[in-house]
Amino acid sequence: MNSDFAHRQISRRSWLLAGLTVPLLSARSTGNLSFAFDGDDLHVAAPQLHFLSGRPLARLQDGATVVFISQLTIFRDDRGTVWRRNPERLTVSYDVWEEKFSVILGSTNRRVSRLSASAAETWCLSNLAISALGMEPDQPFWFRLDLRTADPKDLSAVVGDPGISISALIELFSRKPGADQDQWTGYAGPLRLSKLPRISARRTRNG
Amino acid sequence: MRIAWLAALVLGSWLTPFTLTAGTEDPEINVNSRYTVETVIVRGDGWSTNLASDHDEKISSGLREEISALIGKKLNVSRLDDLGSRLRKEFQARAVTHRVQRGDAPESVRVVFQIVQRPARFDVSVPKFLYASKQGWSGEAEGTATIGHNGFTFGLASDGDELVERYTGLLARYENTRLGTDRVHLRFEFESYHDNWNGASRVALAEGVPGTEETSGIYRNRMNLEPMVVFVVARPLTLSVGASFQRMQEEEPGMPIDAANAFVTKLQYQWHTEDAQNRQDVAAGYSLHAGTRALGSDFVYGRQHFEARYRLTRGKQVFTDEVQGGWLTGRAPLFERYVAGNSTLLRGWNRYEIDPFGGNRIIHNSVDYRYGIFQVFYDTGAVWDRGQPAIARHSVGVGLRQSAFFLAIAFPVREGRADPMFLVGMNY
Repeated sequence: MNSDFAHRQISRRSWLLAGLTVPLLSARSTGNLSFAFDGDDLHVAAPQLHFLSGRPLARLQDGATVVFISQLTIFRDDRGTVWRRNPERLTVSYDVWEEKFSVILGSTNRRVSRLSASAAETWCLSNLAISALGMEPDQPFWFRLDLRTADPKDLSAVVGDPGISISALIELFSRKPGADQDQWTGYAGPLRLSKLPRISARRTRNG
Repeated sequence: MRIAWLAALVLGSWLTPFTLTAGTEDPEINVNSRYTVETVIVRGDGWSTNLASDHDEKISSGLREEISALIGKKLNVSRLDDLGSRLRKEFQARAVTHRVQRGDAPESVRVVFQIVQRPARFDVSVPKFLYASKQGWSGEAEGTATIGHNGFTFGLASDGDELVERYTGLLARYENTRLGTDRVHLRFEFESYHDNWNGASRVALAEGVPGTEETSGIYRNRMNLEPMVVFVVARPLTLSVGASFQRMQEEEPGMPIDAANAFVTKLQYQWHTEDAQNRQDVAAGYSLHAGTRALGSDFVYGRQHFEARYRLTRGKQVFTDEVQGGWLTGRAPLFERYVAGNSTLLRGWNRYEIDPFGGNRIIHNSVDYRYGIFQVFYDTGAVWDRGQPAIARHSVGVGLRQSAFFLAIAFPVREGRADPMFLVGMNY
């Protein structure tokens, strides 16, 4: 055996980083993230992220309601130690006559209508924020944005009046995990609050 | 008991994610809910029907009426999901999707349901299963092949919950859901079971306690052939008419085979109404079994049973009251006798303590309140024999219920030690 190869150790940090990356493999990238700090909350923007496209857009254009689940996470370090996390729910529908989007922000029930796809995407992201209260201005931190479509399992196809359908159960569990789900992920760091552009406070929900 | 807790954990862990992600959709959240439905089109494999103008019989009349009722009203997306599920069930389809498109008139929309059929129409299902700590496991498994409107089912069952005895065996069923018209269904069912008896039942029947003269002896096998025609009189009202030919092989060697042949009639009524906040469901049923010499029966009896249920749903809260009662006249076989102290009646009680071989009178009321998946219930009722005093019993319980699945612990209300019954199952 090649002794050089045998003595090459994979560090604990490499394993942790690899572990953090695994869930990202099935997700699409959000593109570059940019940040702003209003004194309390950290705001994120992802100009290259277009989640109102592809399958979700097709479902919306069919008149369905599509729910997106977002999560903003601040890590203390690059080893994945979570400092704060803020999940949010965005309910989107598409007006078949006006061809405009309507969004409801889950936690606050704030609602906006008659937006184009890009305006709706921007509104969604601009209303996502995570509290940075308690963080030292020069403390380095890492940030992750996750966005996915909600995929409530269709239990009615499996359980009905005739009981549990084994065929439907096989069909449900043989589906590739996340095959019906669209997801996007962006990761950035290290960041420091003192280095971020300052903006005036916006009306958002803090995590 | 260890198995029961394991089953509870598995069931609980399975229920939770569905509970967290499921939920009824607020009609206001879809921006299209302000538009009026102009027409509804249902598309299947090579066919299409416009419910506003076509009058073919692709869809059963009841469901057709419900889908047609969407026309002229504001769009309700959650209602489309309900009707999609109904279409999937009726056509035994793999999936039913719906699309909302612009209508011809301004501010109106057209709804299109698309039915996606399964490649093969054969399904294996578990219609029900139950574990009750005082009576063990019960369950059924069935395989059904569907060809057009004809269904052929073969199944296995072991049930220690429904009757005095535990019955284990097989069943076969043929069902035609459209006998000339979708308002008439035909069903033939054959069952063959081996019966096991609790020691308390054996002792009571052997000692000849009061009531034994009004029923049969213990049998070890039972076979049943049951032809039935179901008439959908009006959509909420159905009438089933048929006969049941039962053969029982008594336990004692050399004893003749007994026949319990009866005319069977059942009337069922279901109705519901809903407004912006509340949904109310009413269901009622009456059944009559008449054992008669005209059918060559060794038992001449009448079994009458009624039940009524009222359910009020308001958001996450569901209140249900269910009352039922029945009485037997003449000499009826053991499988016709009334039992309480199982998974639906007087939950928590030991049925053999109430009446070791059932009674010929029953009255029962159950009140159930649910908030989300959490459930509390109160049962009260009595099972007794003609000429004997009726002793009212009570039980209370708490549990979790989601869809057809439940997990509960029920306590009989009485003096002395609490002896709860643990229940976990589906469709019981």
